[in-house]
Amino acid sequence: MTERPYYLLPFDFTELSGKEVLVNELGDMIISPKGTVQKIVDGTLPKDEIYKSLVSNFFLSEQIIPPLAEVYAERLREKKRFLESWTGLHIFVLTLRCNQNCVYCQASSQNEDSSGCTMSRETMARGVDLMFHSPSSSITMEFQGGEPSLVPDLIEYGIQLAEERNKDAKKEIHYVLCTNSIHLTDRMLDICKKYGVVISTSLDGPAFLHNANRGKKDSYEKVVAGIAKGREAVGCDRVSALMTTSVEGLNYPIEIVDEYVKLGFRAMFLRALNPYGLATHNDDWSDYTNRFIAFYKKALEHIIELNKQGTYFVEEFAAIILRKMLTPYCTGFVDLQSPAGVINSVLIYNYDGGVYCSDESRMLAEFNDYTFKLGSVNDRYEDLVFGKKAKEIANIWANEALAGCSDCALKQYCGADPVRNYSTQGDMYGNRATSLLCRKNKAIIEYLISLIIERHDEVMPIFRSWVA
Amino acid sequence: MTVDKRIYNDSVISKVVYWLSGDYKIVRTTLDEFTEKIDIVLNNSDSDSINQFENRFFQSLNDFKLRQIVANETRDIKTILYAKAFAEDEDLSEEDIHD
Repeated sequence: MTERPYYLLPFDFTELSGKEVLVNELGDMIISPKGTVQKIVDGTLPKDEIYKSLVSNFFLSEQIIPPLAEVYAERLREKKRFLESWTGLHIFVLTLRCNQNCVYCQASSQNEDSSGCTMSRETMARGVDLMFHSPSSSITMEFQGGEPSLVPDLIEYGIQLAEERNKDAKKEIHYVLCTNSIHLTDRMLDICKKYGVVISTSLDGPAFLHNANRGKKDSYEKVVAGIAKGREAVGCDRVSALMTTSVEGLNYPIEIVDEYVKLGFRAMFLRALNPYGLATHNDDWSDYTNRFIAFYKKALEHIIELNKQGTYFVEEFAAIILRKMLTPYCTGFVDLQSPAGVINSVLIYNYDGGVYCSDESRMLAEFNDYTFKLGSVNDRYEDLVFGKKAKEIANIWANEALAGCSDCALKQYCGADPVRNYSTQGDMYGNRATSLLCRKNKAIIEYLISLIIERHDEVMPIFRSWVA
Repeated sequence: MTVDKRIYNDSVISKVVYWLSGDYKIVRTTLDEFTEKIDIVLNNSDSDSINQFENRFFQSLNDFKLRQIVANETRDIKTILYAKAFAEDEDLSEEDIHD
């Protein structure tokens, strides 16, 4: 090894599409010829364009401490900005009652007529009180179920409590109703209109697929009618939809995308099944994961083609990853954060008064697994978010410190998920070599980078428009 | 297959074994002070052949060795940069690297 005329700064690398992809702590990516890292380490790197790029983008420094260390530090801070605001997303699981019968239900929903599975007003009041203990200046109060639109009075009560508290707290508050849109009554929509509630609905694709997934014959028609009604009440841009890729849905990537375009959406999130609730009955998760990756690529390819033909349409999961790659900013997406989104970005107030660290952890609780229960709405906020359970989770919530993640070149674009590790692998720490979540995330991130390498001029204008 | 531990240390070998353990059962045996024997069994029929395994194994050894060099050499500056970003103390300087 010759003496180097430069100093190394922290970075990692991987090989993709015949190139070496170098990624630094800031998430900046440099695509270079194979063998570049060996030359960097050996001190034989010529002072060419790659060298200049490596120095100017904080991979190498010509001084022991980079002259722009303050800029580096500020950019590092920006990448973790989501930690400064603390918990912003507060999910209220109002009821397990539901009027659908989804084949993959992840929320352990109960029959519409069930009793004993709806949040009391006292629990709602305690939950709102805890929500306002969050130091975050911007909070989102999200209503989930079951089907939350079955309890509009409770929603309005919760919002009124929040509005009252906010006269003093003066936080920025957003309200989100996660609904299947089957039961969007005038009463419910009046509440949405009055308080600016954003509607997030579920649509899995064309009628034949959506109805099959819902276990109903007319669900699609009702959802589409609900979307139209919702748009009329609160505005088109305040109604979004989310799909879940059932096993059957894996066969229809093009049809699913086209359905969203047909209904006038400008974005969709290609979401894989999560192994919770009824979805755990899926036979072969490894096969599902491989097929989902193929599904995702086909759907994304179709979306890129649509954009090329002039239809602006965003795939949200890709956009989140691309934002991490192509901009200096962090994202608010709780599933791809390190430290993990659990507690740091999201808290769950369950219908029964339990407080959980993520939506998935309350789903585990429905199967009598309370591993991620932080406490109850009657506990002090500090005891919930700084308690023993929270500290236990905090030990393993940063991928910078996890085996397999810590030396992965893609860690800046990914996140830690102790709840998923626990539910699929039996321990919170997890094993990346056998993790299906790692397999899926890695495949998608690598695919996006490969597109940038192999079809740069074609995809970059589209990708940049998604992160603008 | 054997690995010379003077070239690839235990940490590097362990990381490679970790990542390949999803596809293979890997047994490490110390033969002498400088040599480790690696035996593998395919976990499933989708796994690569033995030859492909050897290629992956040695490529991964080289990659993880490079990663380790970068990580070792940048540990101090990483600490300084993270401290600058997240700690209150702004008095860190070049001397801190040598402490």
